[in-house]
Amino acid sequence: MSAAERMVECEMLVLGAGPGGYSAAFRAADLGMKTVLVERYPTLGGVCLNVGCIPSKALLHVAAVMDEAAALAAHGVSFGAPRVDLEALRGWKTKVVARLTGGLAGMAKARKVTVIQGVGRFIDPNRLAVETAGAGRKVVRFGEAIIAAGSQAMKLPFLPEDSRIVDSTGALDLPFVPKRMLVIGGGIIGLEMATVYSALGARIEVVEMTAGLMPGTDRDLVQVWQKANARRFDAVMTETRALRVEPDAEGVRVWFEGKAAPAEPRTYDLVLVSAGRVPNGRAIGAEAAGVRVDDRGFIPVDGQMRTNVAHIFAIGDIAGQPMLAHKAVHEAHVAAEAAAGRKSFFDGRVIPAVAYTDPEIAWVGPTEAQCREQGVAYGKGQFPWAASGRAIANGRDEGFTRLLFEEKSGRLIGAGIVGTHAGDLIGELALAIEMGCDATDIGRTIHPHPTLCESVGLAAELFEGVCTDLPPARRR
Amino acid sequence: MSETIEVRVPDIGDFRDVPVIDVMVRAGDAVKAEDPLVTLESDKATLDVPSPAEGTVREVRLKAGDKVSEGSLILLLETRAVPPGPAPQPVVVVAPEPPPAAGGPIEVRVPDIGDFKDVPVIEVAVAPGARVRAEDALITLESEKATMDVPAPVSGVVQALSVKAGDRVSEGSLILTLLPEAGSPAVQTAAAAPPAAASAPAPQPVPAAAAEASDIPAASAGDMVLQPSLARLPSPAERAAEVAGGRASHASPSVRAFARELGVEVALVTATGPKGRILREDVQNYVKQRLAAPAAAAPRDGGLDLLPWPKVDFGKFGPVETKPLARIQRISGANLARNWVMIPHVTQFDEADVTELEAFRVQVNKEQEKSGVKLTMLAFLIRACVAALKQFPNFNASLDGENLVLKRYFHIGFAADTPNGLVVPVVRDADRKGVIELARETAALAAKAREGRLAPGEMQGGCFSISSLGGIGGTAFTPIINAPELAILGVSKTGLKPFWDGTQFVPRLMLPLSLSYDHRVIDGAAAARFTAFVSRALADLRRVLL
Repeated sequence: MSAAERMVECEMLVLGAGPGGYSAAFRAADLGMKTVLVERYPTLGGVCLNVGCIPSKALLHVAAVMDEAAALAAHGVSFGAPRVDLEALRGWKTKVVARLTGGLAGMAKARKVTVIQGVGRFIDPNRLAVETAGAGRKVVRFGEAIIAAGSQAMKLPFLPEDSRIVDSTGALDLPFVPKRMLVIGGGIIGLEMATVYSALGARIEVVEMTAGLMPGTDRDLVQVWQKANARRFDAVMTETRALRVEPDAEGVRVWFEGKAAPAEPRTYDLVLVSAGRVPNGRAIGAEAAGVRVDDRGFIPVDGQMRTNVAHIFAIGDIAGQPMLAHKAVHEAHVAAEAAAGRKSFFDGRVIPAVAYTDPEIAWVGPTEAQCREQGVAYGKGQFPWAASGRAIANGRDEGFTRLLFEEKSGRLIGAGIVGTHAGDLIGELALAIEMGCDATDIGRTIHPHPTLCESVGLAAELFEGVCTDLPPARRR
Repeated sequence: MSETIEVRVPDIGDFRDVPVIDVMVRAGDAVKAEDPLVTLESDKATLDVPSPAEGTVREVRLKAGDKVSEGSLILLLETRAVPPGPAPQPVVVVAPEPPPAAGGPIEVRVPDIGDFKDVPVIEVAVAPGARVRAEDALITLESEKATMDVPAPVSGVVQALSVKAGDRVSEGSLILTLLPEAGSPAVQTAAAAPPAAASAPAPQPVPAAAAEASDIPAASAGDMVLQPSLARLPSPAERAAEVAGGRASHASPSVRAFARELGVEVALVTATGPKGRILREDVQNYVKQRLAAPAAAAPRDGGLDLLPWPKVDFGKFGPVETKPLARIQRISGANLARNWVMIPHVTQFDEADVTELEAFRVQVNKEQEKSGVKLTMLAFLIRACVAALKQFPNFNASLDGENLVLKRYFHIGFAADTPNGLVVPVVRDADRKGVIELARETAALAAKAREGRLAPGEMQGGCFSISSLGGIGGTAFTPIINAPELAILGVSKTGLKPFWDGTQFVPRLMLPLSLSYDHRVIDGAAAARFTAFVSRALADLRRVLL
């Protein structure tokens, strides 16, 4: 193999093919740049498509249908106990993932994006070395680059290697259905997996270091979820940490310390570690390119996603919180366009977030607590799903839709929804914030009846005092 | 019902590790609320930390010389009252203390209200001293889903209220203390829990409305009343923390992208869309204006890149009162600011020997005593200025773009102080009026100004202004030109000064003059000549006749 064959020239190099990376590569190619996409795994799509958002949703869908089928017993329809064929279930999940990643490969080809599989590290500000799986070392010489190398699950140093101790990727493989499962870290990812395993029959315990589950999420929203999910958990140990973990023949023994720590160690069949994610800033040879990486592994960027090196951009998890695929995709477009000389900026006002638990929790903009902390004068319209015909008909009326309006301008600044399909409802509110809508704009937008999205319009009407779906407001 | 509270260093601003310079109490001391406990000394000030409550000092946890920060433990205080609900402040403010009567008042706390925390009190139905019967409503709470009354657990007399409408409470928060009536079953409260652990079961029955609200079906949700709007006002501190310069206008993502494309800062664009929205057309118009701006003379967007006005919560430093500016002040303030910023001012100082003039004025006034008209220095000043304006026509002019508009008339304004602010009435055709007539007219105009009865026409058309502070004091000042005039003469207080007449010092009465002029039109030499002319004219008014 000659030196010329091993050297690849391009105008745009994208490192990492997750949602941010492939979006950046595709956008750059659409803008006429000769683009190379470097990805260490054989399929495109990154964590999100392969071992994150998508497979977890495939399993959560199954879990939700199972739970719902069981719940129908209360409405006069009973099914027998479900028989779970784990291999077939894994197959369904794999099919979902394969369909999407296959689609990406096709789109890369259609755009003439060159995909190189291997682990990339910068050699200097214009070259990246790729250790490929079978074809040795390749060097990519680039004009501009976008770093989209993502993040990985945080590893806890005291955990031994054992097949019964898994991270979210291992949990998605569905090795078996444990009787007793411990989730270390009560964040969104851990609780989504807990929902799946619980539906399949596992009893769940959660240990969380902070004072509540889903840290960072509005307590009022979490509370509704927690009440509806109390049945899944044998123990929710907050302000507690796992101290020591020892696998033995019987299971995985875990010692705890903290507020809710049991005196004796407990034994589990499966331990899921979901203690957060850390950015991969230190794993890509950024220093060789002169790109600054902060002490947590993030790469600082400006409003155009540009790093301290003007022709190198960074997007997605590696460029900072929140680590969300939809944030990465928007950053990707900004970076690709800026690299192509366009005046694009990442200036979205809000980034929505969703916990795909059951019920779902979705929010956008500041919470009430944050408004109070920041001294923002606000007003609130909150519609309880207990008054929504659709939610009652669905047998799921535990949720609510809450809208926050800035007092000075009257504009929507934030929203929080808890309830089934909350994640599908929050997009409207993100749009409303970007468009500067006030309560009248939202309340007078005719929402279809009977739907869950109707609760958005009704919450706005409540704020305005013109809602007729609830008893009259009490005067004060 | 005694309780020990930890007294900690409160918010002391941005200081850390400040030394304790004095400890005023010892263990066993009785203190009252607000009594100073320790004195701290920061870089900028010494401050006393007051006692949050009445009580007995149980243990002092620091000594003089220690360094402390916000939250450092000062001492343990045994109080006889129980602090209200979860208190985030380091120093706990204690509710009015109920007398520790034998037989004992009971504490009424918020019962189990379901999953809700920090629910607002929307109504307080009782006042201290009120007699209530068991099950009477004491307060009304409003949760996300329902309003609910908290009933009295027993009959009795309300002693001290610990909540007011608008407060936020949770299960276990103290509502009030109640002295049970004889015959009531004495309900003793559990030992007072520390405020953070407000989970102790309440001693009173759970009101029916407080059953788990989410279990109430919508159809029968008779008690369920939703809040139309929280619109709760933030505390003054929160209000003070409100970010200044919040976005008054809003641009949608497509308009933002368009503005980025053109390099326009959307914050500078005037919004014309509904509800203050910036439209695509607004961005276009802004760009057009900016492109046209250099050609226009008006330097409205001349790039005064000023810092925002400092926003200070003065209430943090002491008691304050906010008073709106008077209408005249608001209008004249805007004019003064424009004139100050847009006109390159230079002020020329001089003195006029008014010894003879003053003697003459006093003498005439004596002669004219019966006529009722008093000659004033202002009248002579107007006369002298008119003569100067005739001599130097460029001073009797206005700038209009690149032209100088020379005036063939002599209307002189004079600044008049009124209770509502500064106004400048104008004496028309001052060149055709005698000194006595000028004195009479200025007195009449000044009187009207003080009464606020000046007609708009009486403040228009001025060519030149005089601002006299001679009646008050001062040696010189720099008056602001009353645009579109080109100059203004400031006059300070006359005073006797030694004057060398060639052989000896003689006392002369000197009048300080301060002429501010628009340097775009008038150069320094012309201004010096003008001022010198006024000075000579006042020294010998016969020159005015020349």
